[in-house]
Amino acid sequence: MAALDPVFAVAYAATVASVALVFLALALFARRGSVSLSPGRLVGLTKDEASRLGTGDAVFLMHLSIALGVGLSISYSLLDPALGLVPLLRTVILVVSLPLALGLVASFAWRVERFVSSKRVEKALGSPASFTTSSSYLQLILILAIALTTTELVLLWFPSLALAGAAVGVLRNVLVAAYYARPSVNLIGYFDKPLHEVRVPFNLADVMAGKTDPDSIRSGVSKASEFDAAERLSFDSCVEIGACEAACPATAAGRPLSPRVLVRKVSLLAGSGGPAVDPFASVGEDELWSCTSCGACVASCPVSVKHLDIVYDLRRGLVAQGRLDKKKSMMLENLAQTQNPYGFKNSTRAAWAEGLGVDTLAANPKAEYLYWVGCLSSFDQRAQRIAKALSTILKRAGVSFAILGGEEGCVGDPARRLGEEGRYQELALQNIEKLNAYGVKKIIATCPHCFNALKNEYPGFGGKYEVVYHTQLISDLIRQGRIKVPPEKVQSISVTLHDACYASRYNSVFDEPREALAASVADLREMHRKKEKTFCCGAGGSNYWYEVPQQKSISGIRTAEAAKTGAKTIATECPFCLSMLDDSTKVMDAAMDVRDVAEIVAECL
Amino acid sequence: MKAVWVYSESDAVSNEVASAAVDVAKGAGAEVQVLELGAQRPGVFASGGKLLLKGPPSSPTPGAAAEAIARAARELQPIAILTGATRTGREVASRLAAKLRIGCIAEVSKLGADGESIFGERNVFAGKAVARVSCPFPAAATVKVGAYPRLAGGNGGLQEKDVGAVSDPVKVVAREAKSAGAVDLKSAKVIVSAGRGVKKKEDLAILEELAKEMHGALGCSRPLSADLGWLPEEHHIGLTGVTVKPELYLAVGISGQLQHVAGMKDSKVVASINTDKDAPIFQASDYGVVGDLYQVVPAIRKALAARA
Amino acid sequence: MKVAVCVKHAVDETELKLDQGGRPVLGGAAGKMSTFDKNAVEEALRLKSKHQGEVAVFMVGTADSKKTMKEALAMGADRGVLVSADPAAIDTFRTAEVLAAAIRRSGPYDVVICSEGSSDTYSGQVPPMLGELLGVPYVGYARKIEVSGQSAKIERSLEDSVETVESPLPLAVSVVSEINEPRYPTLIQIMQAGKKPIEELAADAVAPAGGYRQVSVPSMSSQPSTRKHVMIEGTPEEAAAKLVDALVKEGVLK
Ligand SMILES: Cc1cc2nc3c(=O)[nH]c(=O)nc-3n(C[C@H](O)[C@H](O)[C@H](O)COP(=O)(O)OP(=O)(O)OC[C@H]3O[C@@H](n4cnc5c(N)ncnc54)[C@H](O)[C@@H]3O)c2cc1C
Ligand code: SF4
Repeated sequence: MAALDPVFAVAYAATVASVALVFLALALFARRGSVSLSPGRLVGLTKDEASRLGTGDAVFLMHLSIALGVGLSISYSLLDPALGLVPLLRTVILVVSLPLALGLVASFAWRVERFVSSKRVEKALGSPASFTTSSSYLQLILILAIALTTTELVLLWFPSLALAGAAVGVLRNVLVAAYYARPSVNLIGYFDKPLHEVRVPFNLADVMAGKTDPDSIRSGVSKASEFDAAERLSFDSCVEIGACEAACPATAAGRPLSPRVLVRKVSLLAGSGGPAVDPFASVGEDELWSCTSCGACVASCPVSVKHLDIVYDLRRGLVAQGRLDKKKSMMLENLAQTQNPYGFKNSTRAAWAEGLGVDTLAANPKAEYLYWVGCLSSFDQRAQRIAKALSTILKRAGVSFAILGGEEGCVGDPARRLGEEGRYQELALQNIEKLNAYGVKKIIATCPHCFNALKNEYPGFGGKYEVVYHTQLISDLIRQGRIKVPPEKVQSISVTLHDACYASRYNSVFDEPREALAASVADLREMHRKKEKTFCCGAGGSNYWYEVPQQKSISGIRTAEAAKTGAKTIATECPFCLSMLDDSTKVMDAAMDVRDVAEIVAECL
Repeated sequence: MKAVWVYSESDAVSNEVASAAVDVAKGAGAEVQVLELGAQRPGVFASGGKLLLKGPPSSPTPGAAAEAIARAARELQPIAILTGATRTGREVASRLAAKLRIGCIAEVSKLGADGESIFGERNVFAGKAVARVSCPFPAAATVKVGAYPRLAGGNGGLQEKDVGAVSDPVKVVAREAKSAGAVDLKSAKVIVSAGRGVKKKEDLAILEELAKEMHGALGCSRPLSADLGWLPEEHHIGLTGVTVKPELYLAVGISGQLQHVAGMKDSKVVASINTDKDAPIFQASDYGVVGDLYQVVPAIRKALAARA
Repeated sequence: MKVAVCVKHAVDETELKLDQGGRPVLGGAAGKMSTFDKNAVEEALRLKSKHQGEVAVFMVGTADSKKTMKEALAMGADRGVLVSADPAAIDTFRTAEVLAAAIRRSGPYDVVICSEGSSDTYSGQVPPMLGELLGVPYVGYARKIEVSGQSAKIERSLEDSVETVESPLPLAVSVVSEINEPRYPTLIQIMQAGKKPIEELAADAVAPAGGYRQVSVPSMSSQPSTRKHVMIEGTPEEAAAKLVDALVKEGVLK
């Protein structure tokens, strides 16, 4: 290209200006959302994305093609004047552009598919026309941006069409600056916020100590203006990618919720009206109660939108307004009165352990591990078998352990997920007080909700322990040879493992249960959605205690997936998953049996 | 002669309270008088005598009944006034006690008396404890319904007493019988509850009949309403359904998972019928029958019919 | 409209402990707001939201009861009056007498609401006694209350019928649980309610004791709280007959 050609000079200037616009937009949104764009974070993000390359996740790869495609075409157009001098570089760029263009074509097809299905979901949800229009608009822009980038990459191959290429590039850059700078900022700012991190609106200990005036506390959101800057950045960053909707079990079950629609609604709401806009005028109560807090939406969002923050804040708003039906309020009242969500006499918690020689910590304060049993395994006859199985394993391995018995209270997870943060913190503080009084150092949990709270949440309230999940400990014990499955005891059954969201997606525990099963059964099969991509059983987010309208049950969808593997046994690692799937196999008359990993291992000893 | 008075708005309950009054009268050396308000009631029996109070309407509001009885009591000075512990009976006794400034013992069975006071036993703390309660004469008491056999006959002499017209500012404008189908599970005294042991929707009919014969309502486990749709949603009992505390919970073909038990564990008496002797429901039951509901339920209906 | 609602801090029967002799231990027993009283508070709040005015909570209790008082205030009541006396040591008449005096003292009220009975002792006596002592019309077991002008139309839920009555205001009513679904106050709301005014009075200062016959509780014993687990044997006919007999003996079948 002749460097002095005035037409090209203008085109180049336009390109540079449009790229500058992109950076300007990035800086603007970063400032507004108080997000740091430091090189450190960029490196961190790059590493994080690179680590996901290995997963071979199609949605992720498509997304990567878009990002790299845009990056490559911008680099090309900026380097254009210099490329004549380094022909090799030009060749490299052209070669690299090929797979990216293919990825972009695939993304284009995927976008069209999402567009169609998103309209179907909106129709099912009865979304108003104004809403549908704004969602379509954003999706079409995304499709356009992909088309433009693909075109630009193709045009690179034809130097004679360079001017057209530059024009396409400028247009795309303007679109990127206008629509994708904000999500990029959100991604950079929050890519490493762990899924299990729940926003804490107040600290109950401070309120009780008189350090915080209870009147100054606002728990959750009851007016659109009450969303804070981070949340606004989060929901305004949504560009209708729809990965969340595709992953959401509530949407799949035909419940009145799509995380994509929820985020868009909240964004429109907060942007539309005066500060007093009532979010519940457009976000339905059942919409919020439909969420199982499985985290599939958050984990799948390429731009790091935190859907769950919005769900929790709005649920807290509903709770504060007393908008709870009998089932939910009864559960909370039970927690307040009996320290378990079922209303059973809490002092009878250890009934399952009678005659098993399991000590309480009061009787054996020197025990190495505290086994945190959890409410369901304490009171439900079926789930008690998990506790019994684990006890058998620990005894066989000579692990010194004890339980709290009647002193154990609900970990608080059901209250927190329902939006009653105060009750949650009260339970947490009561439990931490007891644990610290006994000087507990190590805890084993068989319920992933207890595990998650003890491991990730309690430290924030002064309870710091080494917490292991039972599947982790069991696989360790097998590896160390402290328990052995003799070859003749390996069960000749076909098993498929259902990963619990709070173990796998929330806490990256998924290899250990597989190791334990591999040692105990002959035939281990995998479902399509597994490990951190697992599909919810339907009980999380307090859904165990109430019902929402739906077309089919989430547990039914999952049970059908398990049945498709041909396995005759579903292995679970969570008492709630066990309860849900067991129930579902009965309702569906599926000839499958559902057992916890601990039970399967214990049977082999 | 000292008198123990009996009053209930229902003939059947009046006949039960009259039996209870016999025990009180014996202990206190008194005689029993059964009250009739406004008009004579041929279905009401008395081992002692009857006392007809003239002035109030023949089916008075609780307020009018209490006023009429109080007027008579101020003059005739009975040592005790017993009513049935029905909703109306509780109100009448309590209002009488307040009007006459006397004590009132509630929901009692095993009544008795000595020269100075009346006593009895009652359940407190949701049936977890039994309290012996007593009150010096003169006193009022409400007698637990179903605790005494009904007097089946007897009519001593009839006395009359004019207490003058009584009126209540509370006016009844309509009265409607609760339809059997609409029995509210939460207030039902007896619940027959059906589970998946019931093979077909049509078979629910025998349980519905049984519930009717036991003066109760029909409930179910969740699969029957949520999954099979045999009964409306509000019939299912448990964690995700209604919570009930009837006097009698009869679980038929229900396995007794925690999610179900959580909704009925506070029932006073639980009985269950199940083919599986290891079904968890037996852990939550006072009485268990291991057997096929298709044989046991008809047999129960026969046994009930034989009693009636 | 001024609404008074009476609330009891009742013994929590779920966690009730027994002593050596099997008697329930009432000293230090856990307490909670009597279950149906939540419905009474809720109904008072609904009347207030419909007709404006205020809701005052009246309670006879010990210092422990403040927890329940705060809960009622957290639900939305405006102020509380706590008359100190141990509800376990006084009888229903005395309770009603003290409540009536306290209500009269801070009244007049248009509607006085109680629940049909407390979840621990369930006598159902205080509400009608209160109506008598206040000298106002009384309607028991309401499942629906509609106030318009100076009168109320109320549906009473009786054992086998529903009765609709009309009464002039002021009046006292007791409500059954089907009347509404009480709201759940959050822990923070309960803490916030600690700032609402609670007037504390001594029972004897409100209404001098004496002059009536006191009900006493000479003894108390426990009922086995666990299930009996009686397995009935025999042919279906024999088992059915035995079961019916047992249930009749329990007094749960007529
Ligand atoms: C989150 C969640 C919430 C739930 N909430 C509830 C709830 O609120 N309420 C509820 O009820 N359930 C609830 N469930 C379902 C619960 O787990 C059980 O699946 C359900 O209670 C079982 O119902 P069932 O006892 O009728 O059926 P099954 O468990 O199938 O039991 C049937 C029983 O009938 C017996 N039987 C079979 N034939 C006969 C015969 N001819 N005569 C006598 N007995 C016979 C069998 O031995 C068996 O014990 C919930 C489950 C989950 C996962
Ligand atoms: S957390 Fe799970 S259920 Fe809730 S919106 Fe996200 S994907 Fe759907």
